[in-house]
Amino acid sequence: MPAPVSSIGERSRAADARAPLTALFESMRPDLLRFAHWLARDRSLAEDIVQEALLRAWRSREALKEPAAARAWLLTIVRREHARLYERKRLELVSLDDALDIPDKAAAANADAELLTLRYAIMRLPIEYREPLVMQVLGGFSTEEIARELELTNTAVLTRLFRARSKLRGLCGPNSEPGAAPREQPA
Amino acid sequence: MICEDARLLIGADPDGAGPGLEEHVRGCEDCSAFREEMRRVNAAIRRALAEPPDVRVRAAPRAVPRWREYALAAGVALAMTAGLAVWLLRPSDTLAREVVAHVEGEPDSWLSSHGVSAGEIGHALQRSGIGLDLASDKIVYAQSCWFRGHYVPHLVVETTRGPATVLILRHEQVRAREAFREDGMTGVIVPAGEGSIAVLKRGRGQVDDLAGELRGEVHWLAEPEPAPARVPMH
Repeated sequence: MPAPVSSIGERSRAADARAPLTALFESMRPDLLRFAHWLARDRSLAEDIVQEALLRAWRSREALKEPAAARAWLLTIVRREHARLYERKRLELVSLDDALDIPDKAAAANADAELLTLRYAIMRLPIEYREPLVMQVLGGFSTEEIARELELTNTAVLTRLFRARSKLRGLCGPNSEPGAAPREQPA
Repeated sequence: MICEDARLLIGADPDGAGPGLEEHVRGCEDCSAFREEMRRVNAAIRRALAEPPDVRVRAAPRAVPRWREYALAAGVALAMTAGLAVWLLRPSDTLAREVVAHVEGEPDSWLSSHGVSAGEIGHALQRSGIGLDLASDKIVYAQSCWFRGHYVPHLVVETTRGPATVLILRHEQVRAREAFREDGMTGVIVPAGEGSIAVLKRGRGQVDDLAGELRGEVHWLAEPEPAPARVPMH
């Protein structure tokens, strides 16, 4: 007996059921792209990462129980996709010396220039500092969630976040004395 | 709670709160001021991250399709076979040049100013079956790098004369100390155990002290089994 062929009505109902999830994923694409862009420091690579992440998310959509958890779930997939597709070492191969010189602070006399200077500085942060910072500030992940995701101790994450902000602190206002950075505990 | 702990918590999450932290901040003007400042910093960071980084970067290496990796692997294997004789007969100063080229390929390594975790150092060393007695707080950069067909530890060590790069080359033998100066770097490669150690500094400087010190601190452990074949990209 031949396999039953789904009717136009059945296919239509299946498409209707998928529509909300598709719309949900698509509504988060700008957030995901921005997140991936700050991790990868390259727009076209970020687009590839997000595309692949959305594909993976779609394939494992059964794992998403609550639509409210979709954002964190998708951001986690994007982060893993970034780590998977673009190994740390290859990321560090991108020389930023020419393109990302921090502008002279004296020239950064207005708010826009200060913001631009800060963006440059964030881009120049080593991945071990930039990644938890972006996860926390952009992704809204807690310290514990970052520690779990990056397979670090909670103290190691606290230290990295502290150091990330300490490195940026001097660019954000008149008080530019660096904070006393504690030693990082072994992960 | 002491000030150091409070500042770690504040710096890690300026908008966070906890009973212990709040109690400390209420009674400590310095930490209270620090929290206010870090909150301003955090607000600025939030504004900076709100838009994608509108920064031009040099083209990043792109992920390649799987079939191209296999094709590349085949090409690399062919090239390696064809060039084997040349490779075996290469002049000794080629090693120094390749060491310099490798270090130039990781410019960020010189920028590190804080220690790396013991886990990261351990990972960089264990992949090559290397043990090291050097105090971990001197090491500000640690990677396991693909170099001449093997993973080698690539470290940057903070010395009294500035940072120095160290490559522990288990599979590269040299007969005697070789000094070199190339592309603005000064370095030596010294025999050590079953291989050699390369030590480099930017500019002119003395690196023999560190090289000598490392010779006594490196331990050659059993080399781990190689990972499944994969195209080395670096």
